[in-house]
Amino acid sequence: MGDTRTMIDYNALVKDDRVHGRVYTDPAIFEEELDKVFSHGWVYVGHASEIPNPGDFRVTDIGRQSVIMVRDDQGQVRLLMNRCAHRANAVCQVERGNAKMFRCAYHGWTYRNNGELASVTYQDRYGASFHKEEYGLRKVPRTGSYRGFVFGSLSPVGITLEQHLGARVREQLDLFIDLSPEGELDVTAGVHKYGYHANWKFQIENGMDGYHPNIVHQSFFENVRRRTGVNLTDLGNSQSPAETRDLSNGHVMLDFRPYNQARAGRMSAIMVTSESGQAYRDALIARYGEERTKELLTARGTHLLVFPNLILIGVQIRVIRPVQVDETEVFLYPAFLKGAPHQLNVARLRGHEAFYGPAGGGATDDLEMFERNQIGLSARVDPWLLLSRGTEQQYLNTDGTIVGQMTDEVTQRGIWRHWKKVMSQAEASARRRSHRGNTVQHVRP
Amino acid sequence: MADMQVDRRKVEDFLYREARLMDAHAYDDWLALWTDDALYWVPSNDDDIDPERHVSIVYERRAGLEDRIARLKSGAAYAQDPKSRLSRVVSNVEIEDGNDGELIVNATFNLTALRRHRMDIFAGRTIYKLRSDSDSFKISYKKVLLINNDEVIHNLTFLI
Repeated sequence: MGDTRTMIDYNALVKDDRVHGRVYTDPAIFEEELDKVFSHGWVYVGHASEIPNPGDFRVTDIGRQSVIMVRDDQGQVRLLMNRCAHRANAVCQVERGNAKMFRCAYHGWTYRNNGELASVTYQDRYGASFHKEEYGLRKVPRTGSYRGFVFGSLSPVGITLEQHLGARVREQLDLFIDLSPEGELDVTAGVHKYGYHANWKFQIENGMDGYHPNIVHQSFFENVRRRTGVNLTDLGNSQSPAETRDLSNGHVMLDFRPYNQARAGRMSAIMVTSESGQAYRDALIARYGEERTKELLTARGTHLLVFPNLILIGVQIRVIRPVQVDETEVFLYPAFLKGAPHQLNVARLRGHEAFYGPAGGGATDDLEMFERNQIGLSARVDPWLLLSRGTEQQYLNTDGTIVGQMTDEVTQRGIWRHWKKVMSQAEASARRRSHRGNTVQHVRP
Repeated sequence: MADMQVDRRKVEDFLYREARLMDAHAYDDWLALWTDDALYWVPSNDDDIDPERHVSIVYERRAGLEDRIARLKSGAAYAQDPKSRLSRVVSNVEIEDGNDGELIVNATFNLTALRRHRMDIFAGRTIYKLRSDSDSFKISYKKVLLINNDEVIHNLTFLI
């Protein structure tokens, strides 16, 4: 089983300042993405606070492979493949719940919530070579977590989660999490589930696109202006102090900090997290001190992509689920801040609902853009998509990030540079090694 | 009870009118059906959730409703450009007395939505609180229980 070099020349499809439309339309490329991006690499799976008690579980996917995220009786979070080791029946039928055991209804094989095979129906007809301990639910080969964010990799080998995230992503995750006066998120507020008929990468590119909001979300900003008198279009115009940043490894962000510093308080028109009141501010100062509190409050509103499938925007943890080359699902989990005043967390929910979800006043217009994109891609006289904004003005910051202005396409270029690198690798054949040798990685803050 | 017969006819007329206005995207006429203290609620993931501890698909007071309508009328609500073509049936109407002279009305609906060559079906139950208003009613509360509120939804930017 030697390396099988890819037959697709990704260098010909992804240039420094443009990409070929085929990257969004070719089913063969999509299949390779499921292998190289979603099977070989680290993928966000869920948040540990979704399963607070022993036996709590949630079924989700890594790529398109069904996975159970479960807290076992010892309190450890495990990622188990949702497939009976006998003849592949899915052992878990509901999206979430609590279970001591997962029982396959087909022939009755029963597993403990740590994945061990507890009992086999009529085991006497298996021979002496049958060992029950070899037939537990298969584990996701590598699992890892950072402050409650649980990741999995279907490959037993590869870079560590710590290497994947890097210090820059951890710093941004900290800014999101530490808005909680207890330093912990509570991701138990349910989920918005929406879908669109277009490629999954449109969502990750658009979530980090500072050029579109004043156009696509004009109707939303107009309502904000009418209600509050604040015209927020200065956030996303070409004079905005907000920045696009490429954190490397495909992780990119819209950095609102320079804007929030220059125009303190303006974001409060839409960022309900700032309507916190003195009690919240005092709680933050008590835990983090004045300086850090100021830093945390200035960073609100940040848009972060953790390649390939996790986005943090505003109050939400957003998960991108590739279904087909032209079909995508997106799940949005609003996060509560533990220790914050109840009314603040309620306000976070209400603010989220106004823009997001399948009936919201903002994200629905983004989905429409993705579908129009997919239609436009059928016109191939000139098959290229231009991503050159700010190429000449961007700069390499002292911290190693590439920085551009809010409306520059630094973020898209950062995503594509990493995508090309990942997709140009040989087939992830190492993945086919033994299912044993699982590793668990806990990345320390 | 003679009054209840009158109410049933009036309630059904009101619900059919609301359905027609929603199907026709008659935004201002629909907004005019609501009281100033109204609550419009479409739960997410389950029918019985605590809206202060669980996200909703829609949870709006009057101001939110006005924003929704203003956006839809703005010409820049791209998720409704082109508009969904809508046809819904409202049925199984049950009426009971509520507090302060309001009626509590349960009704089921079945809605077909056509947009960009795709047909979607939505179905569910709606719970209204209706307040008498001259010869008709106004909506002070509307909770829409979609049977697919825990499923992936592609576009729910029309009125339901």
